[in-house]
Amino acid sequence: MKFSIYRYNPDTDKKPYMQDYDIALEDSDQMLLDALVRIKQVDETLSLRKSCREGVCGSDAMNINGKNGLACITKLSDLDEPVVLRPMPGLPVIRDLVVDMTQFFDHYNSIKPYLENNDPPPETERLQSPEDRAKLDGLYECILCGACTTSCPSFWWNPDKFVGPAGLMQAYRFIADSRDQAEEERLENLEDPYRLYRCHNIMNCTDVCPKKLNPNAAIAAIKDLKIERAKEHKDAQPKTGKKIFGIKVL
Amino acid sequence: MLIELLTDRYPGMRQWLTQRLSAVVMALYTVLFVLLIALYQPTNYAEWHDFFSPWWWRLATLLSWVCLMMHAWLGVRDVLKDYIFNVTVRSYLQLLVELVLIIDLTWMAFILVEMK
Repeated sequence: MKFSIYRYNPDTDKKPYMQDYDIALEDSDQMLLDALVRIKQVDETLSLRKSCREGVCGSDAMNINGKNGLACITKLSDLDEPVVLRPMPGLPVIRDLVVDMTQFFDHYNSIKPYLENNDPPPETERLQSPEDRAKLDGLYECILCGACTTSCPSFWWNPDKFVGPAGLMQAYRFIADSRDQAEEERLENLEDPYRLYRCHNIMNCTDVCPKKLNPNAAIAAIKDLKIERAKEHKDAQPKTGKKIFGIKVL
Repeated sequence: MLIELLTDRYPGMRQWLTQRLSAVVMALYTVLFVLLIALYQPTNYAEWHDFFSPWWWRLATLLSWVCLMMHAWLGVRDVLKDYIFNVTVRSYLQLLVELVLIIDLTWMAFILVEMK
């Protein structure tokens, strides 16, 4: 099977290049990661991340024939040849298919990805009703592989400011959690014109998610929630000195 | 309520919501426009003139035009924010867009006022 793989070693290469491989696969090689492991047997200089090899750890996210995905759950039989493999776009390349995900995790950390609850911890666990628990379905399954965020043009344009689909979906995962008490702060944390509102519903995130999640729906839900909360809090807000596009209205 | 979200306390939501609200106004106007055109079927200048002569219709047209200008302004601002990272260049480009839109709106207002 033919492969064309992005190669770049900053210590030795002046610029990145594509290297061709023609590899004889065995019957047991079903997934793209199997083929990459086979390639590493003939060229041990090829660098990539991998770990669980079953779509749970998110380590081997890469750009496969132009679309982000996980090598371990991408069937070889579904791929056109030559299989073109590149690192995920929009992040600095450390080497070959390995990208620096510092920016990605900085955004993830900025949404405070943990429960905030000031009540004293109960003796056992904090309970949820089945209905409240169901609200987390489609959100908690995210494995933070970065496929969605690095396929998002809004992230390419403003990587330092836009949180990106993965971070925003995790923001909503905690906003929607009945055990969390920091909904107001979390919504306020996303009010900046860049952090949330750079999303233009391009939907690349939903298209590429290897776990078949829908970050775009989570982003829309955050916006809807902001409107809902504003309706609920209309009497609580101070009424004076408000300006709309510079004109005093309230 | 909604108007609260248009204040400067919500800089992100304000832009997003303004774009949606202006789109709703334009959509309503477009439906009304198509219906009225189908009803009156103006074919020459005089008939078009009569078509736009009721004050409420000219007011609705002006309102939808204001919405169009705001919608365009926010949309172009978005594009400039995404692609032009030099703040000075972006500010001048934004100013240029604002000037063009204000001229366009003023022109439209003159046309509608003169139509009575």
